[in-house]
Parts: sequence; C-alpha cells; structure tokens
Amino acid sequence: MSAFDEAWTVSRLAQTIKRRVEEDFPAVWVRGELVGVKRYPSGHLYFSLRDPMAKVDCTMWRSAAGRLKVPLEEGTEVFALGTANVWEERTSLRFNVVQILPAAGIGATAQAVERTKQALLADGLLDPARKRPLPAFAARIAVVTSIAGAALHDIITVARRRWPAVELLVVNSAVQGESAPAELVRALRIVAQLDAIDCCIVGRGGGAKEDLAAFNDEAVCRAIAASAVPVICAVGHEVDITLADLVADVRAATPSQAAEFALPDRVEVQRHVSRDRAALITALTRLVELRRERVERTRDRLAGAVLERQRGAERRLLNARARLAPALTRAVTKPREQLARWRLQLMPAMTRMLTARRAGVSRLAAQLDALSPVAVLGRGYAVARDAGGKVIRHTTDVTVGAPITLTLSDGDLAARVEER
Amino acid sequence: MSDTPRLGDELKRLEEIVRRLEDDSLDLDKALELFEEGVKRLKSAQGQLDAAEIRVRQVLSESADGSGPVRTEPIDG
Repeated sequence: MSAFDEAWTVSRLAQTIKRRVEEDFPAVWVRGELVGVKRYPSGHLYFSLRDPMAKVDCTMWRSAAGRLKVPLEEGTEVFALGTANVWEERTSLRFNVVQILPAAGIGATAQAVERTKQALLADGLLDPARKRPLPAFAARIAVVTSIAGAALHDIITVARRRWPAVELLVVNSAVQGESAPAELVRALRIVAQLDAIDCCIVGRGGGAKEDLAAFNDEAVCRAIAASAVPVICAVGHEVDITLADLVADVRAATPSQAAEFALPDRVEVQRHVSRDRAALITALTRLVELRRERVERTRDRLAGAVLERQRGAERRLLNARARLAPALTRAVTKPREQLARWRLQLMPAMTRMLTARRAGVSRLAAQLDALSPVAVLGRGYAVARDAGGKVIRHTTDVTVGAPITLTLSDGDLAARVEER
Repeated sequence: MSDTPRLGDELKRLEEIVRRLEDDSLDLDKALELFEEGVKRLKSAQGQLDAAEIRVRQVLSESADGSGPVRTEPIDG
C-alpha cells in the first residue's frame, strides 16, 4: 500500500481546515481600519480590516448589518466583534463580524475600563476558579455601602424576614462620586479587621445609573479580590456589569438579592433542624433496637452454647457408660467363665481319677481275695496246723501219731498223723 | 459577639452525630452521649432560629485609610 492510497480528498482537506479553525475560536474584538466596504443587494456587507502588518477579509450578514447605527466609512478605525470562519467552497478564511463600533466613539472611560480589565485579567483576578462559595449559615455579615442609602434598608429588610439571627456590621462608604473609590477601599480595609465575618456585601442602591465608575476602579476591584471572605457585589444595575461584579465571588443584581444570596431562609433551615431532630431520634432508637436484638441474639447463642455443652457432657457420660458396662461385665464374667471352664475341664479328670482309683481298689481287692487262704480252701485245699497251731509245711514238721488240726473252708477237723 | 456555636457549625455537628449514630458498631454509652450532645445542639440551633431581632451595628474607624483600630456601635435597623 502506498501513501497515495491514503490521499485525502479535497473536500476532506477543506472540511478539516474549517473544523480546525472554527473549533473553539472565541468571539474577539478586533481593532483595525475599514477598507473595501461593499454592500450587496442581499443586505450582506463585505469589507476588510487591516493594520500596517496584515489584512483580513470580513463578512457581516444582513441580520447584523441591519443593526448598525452608523454607516461604515471607508478608512475609519473601528472595533469589530466576530469569529473566524472558513468558506468551504474556496477554503478562504473570513472574519465574520457581528458588531462594529467606531473607535472614535469609544469613550476614554470605556477604554480605561478595558485597560483595567486587562490588568485584572493578567493578574488572574477574573479567573472563575477564584470564586468562593458563600457560607451556608452566615452569622455575621459585613455590609459596605452608604449608611444613608436605600441599599442598607433593603438588606436589613430581607435579613429580618429570612434570617433574623444574623448580625450585620455596616461600614459606611460613598458609593458614587469622586471620593467613592478611596472610601470603598478604606471600608474594605476596615472589613478585613473584623472578626468572624462570613461574607461581605459591597453595593449600592439607586443613584445615578451611569455613575458606576467606582465599581470599575482598579483599586476597588483589587481590594475586593483581596478580601479574606467571599464578597457579593450588588451594584443595583441590571444592564451593565462592572469590573467589581467580575472580581467579586458572587454578583447580585440588587442589594436585596445580595442579602438573599448571603442568608439562608429560616423556614428552610427550620425544616432542616426538624429533620435533624427526627434523624437523631430515629438513629438512636434504631441503635438501641439493634443493640437489644444483639443482646437477645447473644443470650440465645449463649444459652444454646451452655445447652450444647451440657448435652455434650451427657453424651460423653452415656458414651463412657456404654463403653464401661461391657468392660465391667467382662471383668466380672471372665473369671466366672474361667471358673466354669475350669470346673468343666476338672470334673471329668476327677471322675476319671476316681474311677481309676476305684478300679485299682477293686483290682487289689480281687488280688487280695485270690491270695486269701480261705479262698484257696474254697477250691478244696486245707491247711494243716500242729497242736501249737503252727502251719505244717513239710512232713518232717510232725511226728507220726501227733494230733494235727485241718482247717477246711467251712471249719476245722481234728486228725492224727498215721504215717509219714 | 456571642459564645454560642454558630448555627452552621451546630447543624454540621448534628449531621455528624446522626451519621455516627447510624454506625451499627457504635458503643451504646457513646451513642447516648452523642444523643445528649445532639439534643443540646438542637436546642441551641432552635434557639438561634428563634432569635428575636436582627442586630445591626456600624463599624467605625478613626484612621483615614481604615487600617487603624475599629469600634462598633448599634445603629437603628
């Protein structure tokens, strides 16, 4: 792919240039010399603005051109307000003007104000980021105004209605005329010395509508910017915005409005206090309730734990008993069984022994029987004894003719030896 | 100048008290202590709300440039 594949179309180039130029281009005042003024039948005006170094083509559409109070004169010096504009078809840049003022007609005052504004801008005093919020519940408010003016009266009236708890500390100052700037600066310096001030209202009521010079004064603006507390500027002039308005933290259209901004509405605050009261009670009630539940829960858990432990002990006891019983039984039964077993084993032995013994005796008796002479005699034998009763074993034991006794099985016989 | 806390501070503290009371883990003794403080602050706040009359004083300084000592005196509101 080559770079040519990505080549832009002319339209894209024109659109991109237009977007880049017009995007965020601020409306600016441009000072320059009017040249080449042409009015078209459509009502649109075309001209250029130039200075020694450069020239810019300008357009002014019919709607804006129609509001011009004086005709545009070739070669005159003007202030033109407008924005940069790119005409896509030719990719040509135009300064599109919406307002033109002849430079000669701009008063010295306006130019001085503009210079002051630039100085304040340069020091960052007009930076919106500097603006401080007003306190929610102002208790002490400094008021810089004419003590004889309508502004003070208006502020007190609003304060009494909205927030009577407030203390107003009034610092008197001229708000128009020659001495006003110096007096305002002095008053703001006094305010700086006051303790515990929540905010400061600087303002004026009626008075000459055109005499706003004091509120465009650089020293006054710088004093306002230097305030330690938020400043509400209330010049009481709806149309023109003074530099003091721009420097102040809050701009109020009138002193009454300034008091409204500065002070809470007691009705609203009462609602707030009542809400807090309810919230306090609810929170505590809930907490106590919660605690009670927790105590109950703990108690239940405790009781459960005790019960559980008791049950455990019982269970263990039963267990132990269950395990102990057979052991006990075993301990008792075993010897008994042994005894029985022994007996069982012993009985036949003894019987056998007795029987054997008995048999032995019988046998002996029989043998004894057999040996008995009586028994022999029974079989037909006889025992011969001499007169002395001595058994005759040999023939020589006796003499012929000697008396002998023959003992037979059933008795004795007296006999005599006849021969030998 | 009075010594009573400013209403804004009272309300801020009240909200803090309520917030702390909404914490379930708060000790009950502490909760009661906070509650009592809350009641006190509510009374103070209500008292300030009920304050009868606005006070308006003029601040005066003898110095030409306003940097000298200042004093205040009541003016007719």
